[in-house]
Amino acid sequence: MLSFIGRSVVQKTITLFFVSIVSFLIIHLAPGSPSQVDPMNPKFTPEMVERFQKEFHLDKPLYIQYIYFYQDLFTGKTVSWKDNQSVLKKIWERFLNSLPLFVVGTLITWTLSFPVGIRSAIFRGGIYDRSATFISYVLISIPGFFFAYVLIIFVVTYFHVPVIGMETFGIGDAPATYLFMDRIWHLVLPSMLGATGGIAVLSRYVRSQMLEVEGQDYIRTARAKGLPAEQVHYKHALRNALLPFVTMFGLILPGLIGGSVIIESIFSWPGMGRMAYEAVLARDYPIILTVNFVSAVLVLAGTFISDLLYLVVDPRIRL
Amino acid sequence: MTVRRVLIFAPILLILVLLQSYFWVPTYEQQTKGSPARLAGYIAGSIGDASLLNPILSADSASSSINDMVFEGLIDRDEQLRFRGRLAKSWEIFEDALFYVNPSARIPGLGKADAHTLADFIKHAQKTTRIKDPALKDSLNRITDIFVLPSRTFTVSKSFKDSNTGKEKTMIIRVAAPPRIKLVLNTVDQDLFQNLTHLLGEDYFESFHGKDYLKSDAQLSKEQLAAYTQELIPAVEHNPILLFHLRPGVKFHDGHLVEADDVRFTYEAIMNPKNLSPRISDYEPVKTVEVIDPLTVKIVYKRLYSPAIGTWGMGILPEHLLNSQALKKEATRLGKDLKTFSIRSSSFNRKPVGCGPFKFQNWKSDQYIILDRFDDYWDGPPNYQRYVFRIIPDLLTQEMEFYAGTIDSYGVQPHQVERLEKDPRFQNFSGVAFGYTYIGYNMRRKPFDDPRVRRALGMAIDVEKIIKYVLYGQGESITGPFVKQTDYYNHAIKPLVYDPKGALKLLAAAGWKRNKAGRLEKNGKPFKFTLITNSGNDLRKAILAIAQDAWKQIGIDVNTDLLEWSVFIQERVNKADFDALILGWQMGIEPDLYQIWHSSQTNPYQLNFVGYKNKEADDLIIKIRQEYNHNRQIEFSHRLHEIIAGEQPYTFLYVGKWTAVLDKRIVIKTVDDTGAIRHEKITPTKTGDYSFYFNKWIKLPKAPDFMNEG
Repeated sequence: MLSFIGRSVVQKTITLFFVSIVSFLIIHLAPGSPSQVDPMNPKFTPEMVERFQKEFHLDKPLYIQYIYFYQDLFTGKTVSWKDNQSVLKKIWERFLNSLPLFVVGTLITWTLSFPVGIRSAIFRGGIYDRSATFISYVLISIPGFFFAYVLIIFVVTYFHVPVIGMETFGIGDAPATYLFMDRIWHLVLPSMLGATGGIAVLSRYVRSQMLEVEGQDYIRTARAKGLPAEQVHYKHALRNALLPFVTMFGLILPGLIGGSVIIESIFSWPGMGRMAYEAVLARDYPIILTVNFVSAVLVLAGTFISDLLYLVVDPRIRL
Repeated sequence: MTVRRVLIFAPILLILVLLQSYFWVPTYEQQTKGSPARLAGYIAGSIGDASLLNPILSADSASSSINDMVFEGLIDRDEQLRFRGRLAKSWEIFEDALFYVNPSARIPGLGKADAHTLADFIKHAQKTTRIKDPALKDSLNRITDIFVLPSRTFTVSKSFKDSNTGKEKTMIIRVAAPPRIKLVLNTVDQDLFQNLTHLLGEDYFESFHGKDYLKSDAQLSKEQLAAYTQELIPAVEHNPILLFHLRPGVKFHDGHLVEADDVRFTYEAIMNPKNLSPRISDYEPVKTVEVIDPLTVKIVYKRLYSPAIGTWGMGILPEHLLNSQALKKEATRLGKDLKTFSIRSSSFNRKPVGCGPFKFQNWKSDQYIILDRFDDYWDGPPNYQRYVFRIIPDLLTQEMEFYAGTIDSYGVQPHQVERLEKDPRFQNFSGVAFGYTYIGYNMRRKPFDDPRVRRALGMAIDVEKIIKYVLYGQGESITGPFVKQTDYYNHAIKPLVYDPKGALKLLAAAGWKRNKAGRLEKNGKPFKFTLITNSGNDLRKAILAIAQDAWKQIGIDVNTDLLEWSVFIQERVNKADFDALILGWQMGIEPDLYQIWHSSQTNPYQLNFVGYKNKEADDLIIKIRQEYNHNRQIEFSHRLHEIIAGEQPYTFLYVGKWTAVLDKRIVIKTVDDTGAIRHEKITPTKTGDYSFYFNKWIKLPKAPDFMNEG
């Protein structure tokens, strides 16, 4: 067990190192340059460009820049080129904005997918199952941004309520309950949209898992010995079908930082995804690289956690 | 079983919790729900963020709309587009006219005369009843004072490019100027010297050879000499003067009084090359700005140029926050280089202080700018407590926010207007815009040099149909180059009537006959040309097709071409390499048509690219920009409009309409002397400005009934 953890940590550190090199290279090899040093940008004079390059070591060779950057990152000194604010602070602020969206979205996905998937599996081939399958594929196929616009137009034109942003613009000095409920309301549409794709995929997955387990011998045995159907489904089948999902919990971790670029952009949500997207457009290397690095760490941590979880829930596995 | 129940109830509960929040959120109908201050604020939606909140530096419309709220100019325009005093309580316009005494000229009835004799001669002529010429008499009556300026010598150094070596060189010019006579007039009179020739002799001013008084150490070419003569020792000179009397007791938002020094400072800040103000060319005709006393400022111009008055609508900057000491302090505090630190680098541009109706509060880049009511505003504080400029880059999002009641205005598109008109929640406005679309013909090329041909081409196009089907009715026809809602536009001129048969008759008169195939030809040559416009503009593209079809029907062979904007402008328009093109002009209120219609502006890269030349039009264009009397300007403009409409260098197509939509609950609120509150419906002014009374606007909880007013 301990040796597994040790090995895993070493492996992941090496992977992380390569990820940091590759992402650094990709960013610098990509066409275009930061808007502050772009010769096409009329706002900056050549001497300003030079000063800027010096200040941010852009005049040094790549490997030196690489060392400087990660040195700054680990000492927490990295600043955004756009506004000279600390990158970690910016990411933390945006992360707090993205967090409720992520939490509610995940809650909706996981709570809804199971009942939908289980019922499909139990009444396999029936009208419910077929329509659920159909709807799932529709939801998977519709581009997220299109669905988002349709939903926004529908809600706004029929209910005349604001849906854009994290709260109603200018609500400022309202009582606390109103402020809280207003925030909740603004979470509804984006988190539901974020969840639709997840529900569609996850409920399919639940269905197939359930079907697989329902075909097992011990389920037939359970039925044969006269257990009520409900008990067979929910006690014997579901428990065993749940196993793979435990591991998936670890894998949703990276979603925390990736956020949802499209949903956040459409809803003007000042979250992580939108910040990363804007940073890419402005070639704000420190932000792009930091976000990249943090999400790499989260992906590796996620796989590590899911390995451990598997270990805990499935006694057959010994590492 | 519990597992099953949990599985079913958990999502239902979650969704219920989420959805019930709907009942707490303010809706369009109940905007005060949870947000009681909503009605006292106005939220304007904008596509882009402002850049510099400084009226002398900003060049984009977003910044200007904020600057208009925060800053105030000396004057602006009222509902009728006439000038109206703001920081200036009143103003006077008069002039100093100067001319050099011409010692060699013979004056009728006096002979050769020196300066003092001449001055006495003019004074005498003012009193005598002998003079019958009414124009001369009129001019003489305007003279209130006559001064003799003694002769003087001075030297100037000029740098120029050596034509042989191409290097910059400096030369010294010595001027020994003869005495000069200064006439002080009580109004501006552009015909003064013209009329004075009736008194002093036909060629008194013309025969004054300034170049005889110049001496230079370098060899000058003839053109250079003429240019320097005109600059250094012009025979005659008009110096129009604007004397502004400022309103006493007006305060900046920080409590500092607005004084004449602030006006002078604003002018100097614009002219300071360090600040790189985009408005510098507007103030080039200004000679000096003098502070007479804290409430009087005198502006002297180098020459007659009436559009210059309008430039004093420029917001006035507070000198005490931006003068060199203040900038020095700021530069030292920030550790910046003093030499390069200018108003442009000051943090003032992100937290401006002006004397307008709203004071700056807060600016969050790419999100919003908040302004608060300035309670000490001299014209009475606005009704709204707060003005919020909200940046929403996406048009659809703007529209959605408008329906949700979280912005009060947005850039509504013409095609949406029809739908919104029927909605009882909104009031909407539309009016004629300040620009027009036209088809321009290259008059250097045959057959467009013939006015009959141009007229016939115009008659073959059904403009009414274009307006109806291409613009969805959001446009009006136009007959000439002036802004339609100003007095300068001549409404007596009727638009060309759609008449293909008449067009054929005109073409026949010009020698173009239909051949057997139905094509027009003259001396065996077919009528054939190319009509071009820029790509990316769907309206122009539609007109391109319509014009092509209309002209094909009367037998003209028209090719069309859509060109990318930069190619279109640089290769075709600037080089005048086209037969006919579709383009539009955005116009200002001033009737100055020099750049677009004067014959001197027909060279490559100039704006009279159609090559329109007309002697009388040239004279009128100059006269209009030199005239300070509004009624005479109108007279000249109407004639100019008539000439241009008669010659049809363009086929004037249409002016677009702007549209705006507002919540019906926004009304004009006035309080009369007895304290009674009156609500009125917002109506656009005659010139179509619906937000003219913005300071009186307020949003009510419920839309009022204006039954009695229809």
